[in-house]
Parts: sequence; C-alpha cells; structure tokens
Amino acid sequence: MKRHRKIAAAPERSAGEVWRTATALLADTLDRSAAIERAEVERTMEVAGGIGRQLVSGGHLGKKPLVLVAGEMWLEVEIVSGDAAFALTENLGPVPGAAGVSDWTLHLPQVEPLAKLVRKTAKEDEHLSADEPKAQSSEAAKSNGQTSTAGVFNEAALAAWAKER
Amino acid sequence: MSAVATQTRTHTATHTATHLADIILGSLGDLLAYIGIDTSRFQRQFDQNEKAIAAWIEEGSLEEVVLECHRPGGGVKPIFEFPVTYGSNEARFVDSRAAFARYLNKVSSVPSGTTYRLFCTFNGPRSEQPGWKPGTRASTAGLHSTSMGGLGEGPHARVSGRHLS
Repeated sequence: MKRHRKIAAAPERSAGEVWRTATALLADTLDRSAAIERAEVERTMEVAGGIGRQLVSGGHLGKKPLVLVAGEMWLEVEIVSGDAAFALTENLGPVPGAAGVSDWTLHLPQVEPLAKLVRKTAKEDEHLSADEPKAQSSEAAKSNGQTSTAGVFNEAALAAWAKER
Repeated sequence: MSAVATQTRTHTATHTATHLADIILGSLGDLLAYIGIDTSRFQRQFDQNEKAIAAWIEEGSLEEVVLECHRPGGGVKPIFEFPVTYGSNEARFVDSRAAFARYLNKVSSVPSGTTYRLFCTFNGPRSEQPGWKPGTRASTAGLHSTSMGGLGEGPHARVSGRHLS
C-alpha cells in the first residue's frame, strides 16, 4: 500500500529539525508494530542523521524521497522547501499499515554528489539501504508476518509508478 | 450570506535566515562531497553550524561564510565564499540549487588528505554562538575569483557564491 507524506523544510524548519520530524514520523508509524521497538527506529535514524541532514539541506529529498518499505507498506517521505514549504499543510500522524510488520528498511536515495556517502552510511545499519526499493509481492509480505488486506498487489504497476516518479 | 476563512502568513527574518542557512549548509555539504573531502566532522557539527549561521543572518551581522580547503602538501585552495547581502526585495523564497549543481562541474577535486576550515566574517557586532572562535583566514593572493551566481534569496536577504582557485 502506497503512502506519501510531505515534510516542510526551510524556511519552516532547519535541516536538523526536518530530520527529527522524519524520525518522529517513522518511529510513530513503526511503533504500531508489536515486533518493532521505537528505540530501534530512532537508532537507525541517528545513524542516517549526518547524511540525512546533507540530503535535506541540499534539496535532494524534494526530488527523490526517502522510502520506507515495511511488509506491504511503501511510504515515501518527501521534503519540501522554499515557497512550497511555506504553503504546505502537513499530515505528520502515524501512517497506517505497519501494525503487522516485523521488518523494515529505509531506502536512502543515491543522489549526486552524495551517492558515495549514502552508500557508506547504508552499510552502517541493517535497516538502511542505498538500493532502489523493490515492491514486495503479497507472498513476500505474508511471509514477513503481515496479513494482507489490500487484495491483489500489482507489483508491475507499482514499479512502473515508481519509475515515473 | 457566506463567510470565507482566510489565512495570512508573514514572512519573517527568521524564515529568511532559516532558508539561507539551509542553502549555505547544503552547498557546503555538496561541495565537500564533490571535491572529495571527508564530511564526518561537517556532519557532526551540522546542527551547531546551521543554528549559528541562521542566528547571524537573522541579526544581520553575517557578511560571508568561507570554506577553505587545506591541502596536505601546504597551500589553501580552492576557497569558496558565500556573501550575504541584506535588504532583498524578493517576496518569495527562491533557491538556485540547480544552477549550483551545474556549477559543480567546473570545480576540481582535491588531493587525498585535504581538510577544510569554515570561517564567518561579519559586518558589525554579532552574537556569540557555540563552537565558533576567532581565527585568521588564509590569504587569497594569487587566486582567481569566479562568481557562482546567486544561490538563494528571501524577503530580507540573499546569498551568492564565489569560487577562488
């Protein structure tokens, strides 16, 4: 299930504040799962915090979002800056869909000139990846401990959609 | 008879300071990564530096931010200067990150082991900010200065870039 959230960066928030907001959003979301510790999410976001701040302040996450993949959940977190940030109405509540998941990965976009740093950071935590996220099939999601309520999952359509983004 | 609710938001000097500090830090981070300087210290000190630069822009004291590249064999080059000017007439929050990204192609990488120093210069009295202490800039004698153009602008100030090599 695809979800999309936008977080306002400068001039509303500094890059550090943006990363803390993203951390709270992901922690609140994954905290719905009995199998995932909130502290574990916060640790991962701390590991990614250095490159995360660079990605935010460089404006890179406005072009390529962070992607959280957890079971069938596919959450894109876009960081909006400039005038658009000033006008943005945010929804920063927990994103539904993570209650049954047991594993998760945050995909950091490999954008130049930060791609090498992104790859280095991704190796420092098991929940980080610098790879393009791949849509999971319903079978994979089920084996991951999630009960599917979304019906048939069209992986090809999602991949095509992701390519267009 | 119907009523229409309207909301007006005011662009404050704090918004402009946050916007320009974000652009400066983002440009610094991209530059360091592009020319091949280790960004570990930059990432660790990110929040502290972002707060200081934003505070100085908000109070109108910051003249320019300077990035010096100190080569292991001696010599300081390239140097990047980010002058801030106050009194912009721009009503929006503008960034020129795309133009900056194109300019990076003109910047050469530096030898392995090159380190960096950040300086701020001021046009008047300034507030004290944690982590910053007085220092002496390297000489720019013999370096050729090239404008990188405007990098960003808000309702109260703007920032541009210069490349000395």
